[in-house]
Amino acid sequence: MIVIKSRKLRSGIKAAVPFIVIPALAVLGSAAFARKRHIIISLAIAAFALLLFAAGFEKKSTGTRRMVIVSVMTALCFAGRFIPFLKPMTALTIITALYLGGEAGFLVGAMSALLSNFYFGQGPWTAFQMLAWGMIGLFAGILSEPLRRNRILLLIYGAAAGVAYSFIMDIWTVLWYAEGFQWNLYFAALGTAIPYTVSYAVSNVLFLALLARPFGEKLERIKIKYGV
Amino acid sequence: MRSFQEFNPIVIAVYFFSVTGVAMFSSYPPFMAVSLLGGIALYLVRNGRRHARSHFFFLLLFLILAAANPLMSHNGVTVLFIMNDNPITLEALLYGINSAAMIIGVLYWFRSFTQIMTSEKLLYVAGALSPKLSLILSMAIRFVPLFNRQSKRVKDTQTAMGLFRDDNVVDDIRGRMRIFSILVTWGLENGIITADSMAARGYGTGRRSQMKRFRFRRSDTALLLTTFTLLGMTVAGVMAGGLTFSFYPAVKYGTPGIIGICGIAAYSLLALLPVIIETEVSIKWRYLRSRI
Repeated sequence: MIVIKSRKLRSGIKAAVPFIVIPALAVLGSAAFARKRHIIISLAIAAFALLLFAAGFEKKSTGTRRMVIVSVMTALCFAGRFIPFLKPMTALTIITALYLGGEAGFLVGAMSALLSNFYFGQGPWTAFQMLAWGMIGLFAGILSEPLRRNRILLLIYGAAAGVAYSFIMDIWTVLWYAEGFQWNLYFAALGTAIPYTVSYAVSNVLFLALLARPFGEKLERIKIKYGV
Repeated sequence: MRSFQEFNPIVIAVYFFSVTGVAMFSSYPPFMAVSLLGGIALYLVRNGRRHARSHFFFLLLFLILAAANPLMSHNGVTVLFIMNDNPITLEALLYGINSAAMIIGVLYWFRSFTQIMTSEKLLYVAGALSPKLSLILSMAIRFVPLFNRQSKRVKDTQTAMGLFRDDNVVDDIRGRMRIFSILVTWGLENGIITADSMAARGYGTGRRSQMKRFRFRRSDTALLLTTFTLLGMTVAGVMAGGLTFSFYPAVKYGTPGIIGICGIAAYSLLALLPVIIETEVSIKWRYLRSRI
């Protein structure tokens, strides 16, 4: 990283962001802005979370092979977002996370959100989409052991991820529209988003059921053959 | 003499985040109006009369967003009429219009932003923050057309081998699945080869360079400084200029002082900056051509 060059500063950020900056922002923000400016705080926290990840990733001497595989999966996700109604993006993110770990999952989710928004429109929501998809990947990586063993559990995780994605993005919608969070607007937003929520959940389950095994075999094979 | 999109990408990004940042984080109605007008003006200057459909879509969205708040929220003292035993108030309607102006304004700004900030420019900006992430992005962009070409090759080969018929639906779907599977395996293997080749040529030993060079010229500095000055004046106006406006329970606004008026003027200038640059450039072009 050009901006964050010194190792000390980087590890400083890594320690400071989750334990000091984010709670401080949340507390200060709620005290200082009196429920008016929640959107600033939430955007700042999203940006800090992404920064934290970038700092951690930059530090590691991640092998070139691993990086290239992440970009292959990102390209597939990106291409998959053009399929109407059924989106394999989340499913591919989860599969990557299962076999290559949470960090790779986070990267594939966040990067494909960033990349595909060049065609679907960039906006302040990009940070939230990156974070939401990244978290889906990260948690899939953390839970990879049970998810890989149990197919039913994997499908449930996929459906839950679709619903959770919709819920997270609607928090953003409400914060953007109104100052402060309002439950009735949130429920209204969730209500209008039901078709999308269903399509997310259905496509996650469908693509996980279809792709999890063949993709898993391919990624496993690459891992064994090349020692990624 | 450069048009707005030819400025340094970092300057353009800073400019866009300043304009939309003020629009999103202050809910002061004059700012919303200015940002909406500036966003629409820039989009029209860049695209002319094309994209009539997206203008129509934005208008529709504006109406829906403006109507959503009075239907949901019943605060406010001036009741316009009663619907389903719920009062529809003037204040809630005005609030809805204000929010809608903010959202549609930001949407217009980001339309232009997406057009101006091509992926190559974003890689330049991202490369300054994190070279590795920018590499992943640039490779993913390159893989998409590559996979397209390769999938056509695989399909041709499979057809030539007689494994693929597209007049039978079941066979067609099966064939496509097989092509996809082959493509993924090939993509992963090819990626590994790419990675080894990169490592062999010394990837990661030095700083990554850019295919296209974006220099930081004097006019870039000028635009950056102008943006920061105007942004600073706007923020000062918001902080100390009496730019207050509250909708509930009744519409109430303070009279802006000198600093506040300066802030409004600064934000108006900021929002119209790209339109001014574009107009200046097009006038100069016309003048130069008229002399040939």
